[in-house]
Amino acid sequence: MLRKVAKLLYFDNWNVLIIVFTEMRDKLRKWREDNHRNSEQIVDVGEELINEHASKLGDDIWIIYEQVMIAALDCSRDDLAWTCLQELKRQFPGSQRVKRLAGMRLEALEKYEDASKQYDSILQDDPTNTAARKRKISILKAQGKSAEAIRELNEYLEQFVGDQEAWHELSELYINEHDYGKAAFCLEELMMTNPHNHLYCEQYAEVKYTQGGLENLELSRKYFAQALKLNNRNMRALFGLYMSASHIAACPKVNATVKKANVKYAAWATNQINRAYQLAGRGTKENKCSVKAVEEMLESMQITMS
Amino acid sequence: MAEPEFLLDSNIRLWVVLPIVFITFLVGVIRHYVSILLQSDKKLTLEQVSDSQVLIRSRILRENGKYIPKQSFLMRKFYFNNQEDGFFKNTKRKVVPPSPMTDPSMLTDMMKGNVTNVLPMILIGGWINWTFSGFVTTKVPFPLTLRFKPMLQQGIELLSLDASWVSSASWYFLNVFGLRSMYSLILGQDNGADQSRIMQEQMSGAAMAMPADTNKAFKAEWEALELTDHQWALENIEEELMSRELDLDGMFSKELPMGIF
Repeated sequence: MLRKVAKLLYFDNWNVLIIVFTEMRDKLRKWREDNHRNSEQIVDVGEELINEHASKLGDDIWIIYEQVMIAALDCSRDDLAWTCLQELKRQFPGSQRVKRLAGMRLEALEKYEDASKQYDSILQDDPTNTAARKRKISILKAQGKSAEAIRELNEYLEQFVGDQEAWHELSELYINEHDYGKAAFCLEELMMTNPHNHLYCEQYAEVKYTQGGLENLELSRKYFAQALKLNNRNMRALFGLYMSASHIAACPKVNATVKKANVKYAAWATNQINRAYQLAGRGTKENKCSVKAVEEMLESMQITMS
Repeated sequence: MAEPEFLLDSNIRLWVVLPIVFITFLVGVIRHYVSILLQSDKKLTLEQVSDSQVLIRSRILRENGKYIPKQSFLMRKFYFNNQEDGFFKNTKRKVVPPSPMTDPSMLTDMMKGNVTNVLPMILIGGWINWTFSGFVTTKVPFPLTLRFKPMLQQGIELLSLDASWVSSASWYFLNVFGLRSMYSLILGQDNGADQSRIMQEQMSGAAMAMPADTNKAFKAEWEALELTDHQWALENIEEELMSRELDLDGMFSKELPMGIF
């Protein structure tokens, strides 16, 4: 006969939920697989599980220790992080995964030198360990040394060309430095490896739009359209399509056919935006105001096209 | 000529046929677990990891290059294939042919392979031959020539006996190959008890032919990349997109957990 132990958990100020042990464990697993970063919830649920139900978890407990430790570092719960780390060290002495966690704890305490030494020792044993390299780069990022971080990340990517996380991180760093050309390169890598991901297309289009210049505007319009084709509901891409098309149409250097085509695209985009906003509220009073606001905004953005 | 019909003692079925099946099966399972215990980890060098990822990147460039602008595609193709300093043209890896003398780990691997697979088979085959000798075990359903007699009828000295009647040793060997599918059912694919697969590997040459392959792989990629052209997938994207209204179904329903941006 299963004895289920129920426990009250507060998930935020206003909601009180009663959760059963198996549900807690499954929730943790779901968050782990989806890579959610809801650290406070993980700490709540995880602490509960570790303190009350450790015996029932069996071998799952080690991966839960890891998950809870990282979440605890996020929430500044050093005590909890320390306990988790001790348990893991006891069970897996000499493991590189545990060493990396120890390094992360040092990072959280801002002891960057010690953390760096820790990662270096991991790399001495196993030069192909990507996790340690990436932690070293994030130390540089945490210290605000973005130029060095960019350089290190470039070196890392020369060796591990296939690491998509790293390409994305590099594109973010470049965008922060306003180096849009290089950020576009990184996003192209991501688009090639994930051709069906509409978010990469949209981000690429935004970078091209920010770069400016007629060619880049055309490219950005095309990639906004691609993002829309991959996901019809991407409102940001829809607005982006409208803006790039109207921008091109307003450019003095374009010839008449291009201008006409872009005006047509912009008009179509306006239509779709209006449709979306009308679907949103279906006649509620607030919605009528917002529909009107959208129309006025679109008209004001329309630079004269004669 | 009508064959004489033999009626075998049913004790043979009980005490010979079935035990041999069990013995073979259990020995196979034991072999599987022993091979897991004796497995050595293969450590990959940084260069190997890096090279494999570069090859993957080049392949992706060929397959999905049509999603990035023409200029970017050409830039990458140039990086890989340029005559003077393209990556595939220039990078030569040191090729060390893995012969058993120079590579000690290969030697131990070969030894382990032999010990786990060939040795038990020989030993147990011999033991079965010695224990269950002197009688006929079973009959194969198809006729055989007289050439097979000394091979299949080890302990039986009857000149006139049909070659289809075989001894227990041959029943054992039959089992070794026949139980292969049972192993994959019970132990999962890629199990250590799969005798015939291992023998195939030994016949097809050294399993670690990777180092030499890197240079050849680079050359193959270079050729393939030379041939690829850029067909931009986004050529007529606006027309395709605007040929119909956007599908905004379910966009604002309450069930959507995540934002649309």
